[in-house]
Amino acid sequence: MSTTIVDVDRITKRFAGHTAVSNLSLQVPSGAVFGLLGPNGAGKSTTIRMIMHILEPDEGRVTLFGGPGTGRALSARIGFLPEERGLYPRMEVLEQLIFLGEIKGLHRKDARVRALRWLERLGLGDWARRKVQELSKGMQQKVQFIGTLLHDPELVILDEPFSGLDPVNLQVMKDVVVEIARSGRTVMFSTHIMEQAERMCDRIAIIARGEKVVDGRISDIKAEAGNRHVFLSFAHDAAKAVPILADRTLVARVDDSGATAEAELAVGANPDRLLRALMDAGVGLSRFEVAEPSLQSIFIAKVGQQAATAPAREAPHA
Amino acid sequence: MRKLFAVIRREFMVRVHTRAFVISTILGPVLMGALFVLPMLLESRDRAPKPLVVLDAAEGAFGSRVAEALQGSRRGSGLDAPPRYRVTRLEAGVGNVAPLDSLIALLGAKDAGPGALVGVVLVTDSVVETGRLHYYGSNVGSLSEMGDLQRTLRQAVVAERLGRAGVDVSVLVAATAPVSLETSRVSNGRVSGETGESSFILAYVMSFLLYMALLVYGIQVMGSVVEEKSNRIMEVLVSSLTPFELMLGKVVGVGSVALLQLGIWTGTAKVLTTQRVAIAELLGAAPGSAAEMPIPAISGELLAVYLTFFVLGFFLYSAAYAAVAATCSTQQEAQQGALPVTMCIVVGLLLMFGLLDEPNGSLAQTMSLIPLFAPFVTPVRYSLSPLPLMEVLASGTATALGVLAVSWVAGRIYRVGILMYGKRASVREILRWIRTG
Repeated sequence: MSTTIVDVDRITKRFAGHTAVSNLSLQVPSGAVFGLLGPNGAGKSTTIRMIMHILEPDEGRVTLFGGPGTGRALSARIGFLPEERGLYPRMEVLEQLIFLGEIKGLHRKDARVRALRWLERLGLGDWARRKVQELSKGMQQKVQFIGTLLHDPELVILDEPFSGLDPVNLQVMKDVVVEIARSGRTVMFSTHIMEQAERMCDRIAIIARGEKVVDGRISDIKAEAGNRHVFLSFAHDAAKAVPILADRTLVARVDDSGATAEAELAVGANPDRLLRALMDAGVGLSRFEVAEPSLQSIFIAKVGQQAATAPAREAPHA
Repeated sequence: MRKLFAVIRREFMVRVHTRAFVISTILGPVLMGALFVLPMLLESRDRAPKPLVVLDAAEGAFGSRVAEALQGSRRGSGLDAPPRYRVTRLEAGVGNVAPLDSLIALLGAKDAGPGALVGVVLVTDSVVETGRLHYYGSNVGSLSEMGDLQRTLRQAVVAERLGRAGVDVSVLVAATAPVSLETSRVSNGRVSGETGESSFILAYVMSFLLYMALLVYGIQVMGSVVEEKSNRIMEVLVSSLTPFELMLGKVVGVGSVALLQLGIWTGTAKVLTTQRVAIAELLGAAPGSAAEMPIPAISGELLAVYLTFFVLGFFLYSAAYAAVAATCSTQQEAQQGALPVTMCIVVGLLLMFGLLDEPNGSLAQTMSLIPLFAPFVTPVRYSLSPLPLMEVLASGTATALGVLAVSWVAGRIYRVGILMYGKRASVREILRWIRTG
């Protein structure tokens, strides 16, 4: 096993009225693309803030790169994109990026060269001399993304990096993250969108209400859940499937999206019985696939519908 | 260190590059120049003696004595100074004040040119007893002209009284010769060559500059913190900089802008005052018209004391402003929260005015030891009267300790506050932040 880059050891963080993170442990191995998953308010941002040493845990400890030093002290090796995006609105894009590079320890000249290269690459070359406030939201997000990566960090921590992006920019950012991961660097990002994590991560941790629900390799987590999931797409008469999917001797749990559904077979039931029942009822099927469960359904199975949607405060309020 | 420098540099450049800074920096010297040059120009424009009538309704030589005294009144000091008035004596006969009305009618004439009559002095015998002399004029609003007029006329009246009491004329002339008080400042047993007036102006200007710098730039520190909070850039910053580095960088960066601006202004003032004769000549005004301006000569020691206390005061108050800003999320909240800090600055300035009369009193000595007020009080005391080195050192040490204490407290509030969003923190919460920091 490769070395552990981020080692979170039983950390707990309490705010005035509630416990945001409780006894949480995580290990991010070198070179991994690690997804920190959880519903809104699960404690993802608080965990990341503690890793970055913006907040100090009340209990427990965070070790980075296997040695001493806090997130701030090691910030030259870490790229951090906070959940709350922010740039100086009245500063020029290039100056802004040079400043962000400088506070990570880059020399001015070096920061400038790198910033120009990145701006060119992400199609913002013509905007280098414009003020940040003249840029669209998507462009500003790209600028911030560049600021995160400017100093070529070994560890990249992104808090909800893909939220609020249009499909084109989303693709651009995703390509960059994938490239970083391919070059052997470690990426850790948080998201509440399971499909995203499923496509990009090789390891995940799911947290809910400040506690870890499951973690490990996605393949292991799925294998553990077993090939007991059936993915359905309906061509017609989808309504006729509803009573069959509600039959608890056949289906243990179902995530019905209307045009599609993901069903977990009940203990003792087999796919053939489900298929026959659906055919007999006259449901028109365009897809019937037995496969590993999706992260979404694992997530719901593990934390339950209630926790998945439970509103909780994520940001510390005074 | 490089990170800290990056923060200082950013704060500095962002401010120096604004239109507001460029305009105010240029506007300062322009205004100063205007204030300096305009009086010269105006002075030279109305250098022609002002026509004045002495309406003589008194017995004997009283009227001519008054007229002579007025004729001898000069604009400025020195022998080449131009006469202030062109005096006409109108003999009306003893007790006859009838021409007064027609003279007054001439005074207010709108279509009169620059040579028009400016005023009438009514001289009657009763003046000698009552001491009440009447002047009718279009220029009575000018305090300086009236003051000058009063001095001149008093001399004439005193001479008349003495004359009527039978005092010899030659004695009289000698006795009523004008007396002027010339002050010289002594520090460390040496005559410094400064006049009392110039040290007063210097003290005044110094405190006022500090006051302005604290209000304008201290509040900029505050605005900058609130801006970073409301733009949510704070998390990026605190993930690579310590909150203390951030606060220090901000205070030093903004402080450098203040020093740059004040330096430009002071430099301009220095050039204007030292080159005033050349400037007067350039404008065609008499060199004498510029000489009346007292030149605040500033010694090296005083400059060192002033700059030290300026920097200490700036650190103290900007750190306080930064801490206030850290507890707020919007500029409006911050402005309210900053009121106590601003009050201290205003009190500091007011105290300075109070101390001008008695720069070595016990109040002054006490204030020099209170860090909040020392930056205002000590340099002013130093400029007004020689201050024992021990006292300056004690004041400096107290202020420096105050700066450390305020920065420590501010740093703790700042550390917690900058990541707090939402409603403004209560005093109890802030106290908890300071304790747990």
